[in-house]
Amino acid sequence: MKLISLIPLVDLDACNGCVICSNVCPTLAISLVDKKAHVKEADCRGCGACDQRCPVYAISMQKLEKPYTVGVAVDDLPYEKISALCVRANLNPEQIICYCTATRAEEVAAAILKGATSPEDLSRETGIRTGCKVECIQPALRLLQAAGVTPERPEGWQWYGLTPAVWNMPEEIKAKHNKSGFYFEEDIELFKKVVEAKSERRDS
Amino acid sequence: MKAAGKSFQRACIKPMAPRASQYGIAPELVTKRLADYPQMTSLLVKELFPDSPAVIYPSEAGLAAVRKAAEEALNRVDMSMIKPGQSVNVCASHHGFTLLGGEPYAELLRAVRDVIAARTGTQNIRLRAGVGLRFRETEEYIKRYKLDEHYKGKARGVAPIDEGVAIPTEIGTLYGIKAIYDADWIVHVHNSDVREVHFHRQVDRAVKPFGMSYARIETRSTYHWNMGPRGANFTARAIFDSEFVRNKFAFTAFLNMSPSGVVGASADNNLYALNDRITVEGCQYYGKIMTLLGEIDECIVGLDFPCPVPYVFAAGVIYANFVGANQDLFDLDQPLPPYTWYTEAFYGKDGKPLIDGVAPINPAIKLAVHNYAWVGYPSAFFSEHVPTVVVGQKQAELFNNDPQNLQYMKYAVVADDLDSAMHFASAAAKTDKVIIFDGAMGGINISESLAELLVRRAPAVAAKVDKELMPKWLKQRGVKAGAAAAAD
Repeated sequence: MKLISLIPLVDLDACNGCVICSNVCPTLAISLVDKKAHVKEADCRGCGACDQRCPVYAISMQKLEKPYTVGVAVDDLPYEKISALCVRANLNPEQIICYCTATRAEEVAAAILKGATSPEDLSRETGIRTGCKVECIQPALRLLQAAGVTPERPEGWQWYGLTPAVWNMPEEIKAKHNKSGFYFEEDIELFKKVVEAKSERRDS
Repeated sequence: MKAAGKSFQRACIKPMAPRASQYGIAPELVTKRLADYPQMTSLLVKELFPDSPAVIYPSEAGLAAVRKAAEEALNRVDMSMIKPGQSVNVCASHHGFTLLGGEPYAELLRAVRDVIAARTGTQNIRLRAGVGLRFRETEEYIKRYKLDEHYKGKARGVAPIDEGVAIPTEIGTLYGIKAIYDADWIVHVHNSDVREVHFHRQVDRAVKPFGMSYARIETRSTYHWNMGPRGANFTARAIFDSEFVRNKFAFTAFLNMSPSGVVGASADNNLYALNDRITVEGCQYYGKIMTLLGEIDECIVGLDFPCPVPYVFAAGVIYANFVGANQDLFDLDQPLPPYTWYTEAFYGKDGKPLIDGVAPINPAIKLAVHNYAWVGYPSAFFSEHVPTVVVGQKQAELFNNDPQNLQYMKYAVVADDLDSAMHFASAAAKTDKVIIFDGAMGGINISESLAELLVRRAPAVAAKVDKELMPKWLKQRGVKAGAAAAAD
């Protein structure tokens, strides 16, 4: 869940149509119209990636007159389905997967179970990936993969793909490095404990 | 007040001045600093730990000492692989610019360019400065320190959402920032400040930027989600060990830090050799002050430095370390520091950890007075777990308009000015002990009552670190104690 309170304003005189803003927009809200950046407000989640990367400083973030909240309800789905999807992604449904919005895995799982098929859908529906724009791409991709969804990569630089995880590391590589201070096996055990941890909702 | 014949009534060390930045309030809005209060005093790290290493900066020689150390170190590395006309990316990170005002790191970066040009004959030397979560931060530093001029117009900030490049590694594909690697050679210029020990755990500290400030979002997310709290920094090692990176890596140059200041400069063609040395030095230099800060029984924290909340400094230690100082952050037998992103993720909806054995945020911190700190880092965990008073409505608004901190003010309260904040803090926290994270060079600004406690406890802490903790920390990392001395 995220409060959307900002919107980019494009200075059309300054915009040079380089499309960097479009390449970095996590919700694909920016396109080129008449060789200038155009923001589709309904899709924007106010993350400011465009403002932060515009090479000619043509974009500034403005306060929305009427801030609004996006989010996906979890109560109208069987919780065991949400929980099972999270576990397949090696996540506890109650754990936070986006630090900026405090969005939990259960909400993102619910969005996928309700039809989201890409990180862009997840960002538009839950607000994840629209705070720091950096940290939560892997849990999003892991949840999509766990649901059997292979998202199509956008044309820009929004994301490139799933990456390795400690629980998938080959034994010989772990053995090669575990004398250097990397506690791979112990951390795998820690992840297991977290994934299996009961919570109020799961217990009920 | 006196302890062991020492008076603690002395002037505070000058705090780091506010900086004009899009990530902080305007400097003119910071009208009073915590160090301005008469009940505050200062301690030098050297007073607490007499065996602290000698520093070259701050010193009377000023930046010239940094320049000299950098040139001497650089003259010892092999640069013969760089041919005239070839391109070289000098890779930097934002953290270095937060140390001691930023000039020492900027000077190292200037020296690196000058020595490469002089020794190799190439002029195609570019500065590529990576960031954390404030994508224009190094752009601001490049302008502030005139690095664009020094690099002949070839300096730019790069961000983790910029165009990427796939890097095949022994564990699978990870992703770097294309602009970091778009040269014939790369030179890795960093610093040995321990800083985010809660993330990297002082394992491969020197390698970390390859998994962080030089990396795309996919890689950084791998670090914080896929590898675990003690395996995270392996992400950086996997990238650095890749054929793609090794084929471009020329050498590394480091600003060697201690809590008192810059102790020297290092350069090496072998990053792991340098890494072993700074692993030892980091544990040695920072282990004592961090362990000592863990002895504080109760205090009010003052945040008063031009950086995001977790990165404000006191005695070379960042606030994020102090919120975990109730646990030994260097001890790898402890899986989860009280604060790290893995820990934060593992708190359930009821505000309690999902699993047993997670240490709370340092209970000695009774209240935080946020006089001056930046946005651009998700910081709500701090205000959620530590009662926080933010000074000034403008600063509160700044946080409310930051996409990374929409929840920060949900848990914090606002005071009109610092006097009101401190009045409230004293009444609510019921302690006269205050520690100020304001970047005081060489020491720490604190209340007299806290100075007395730290001076009293320091000798026992030093003995414990030397005799008990250092051997354990180094053994856990597979590093020999003599690594630092042997190479320098």
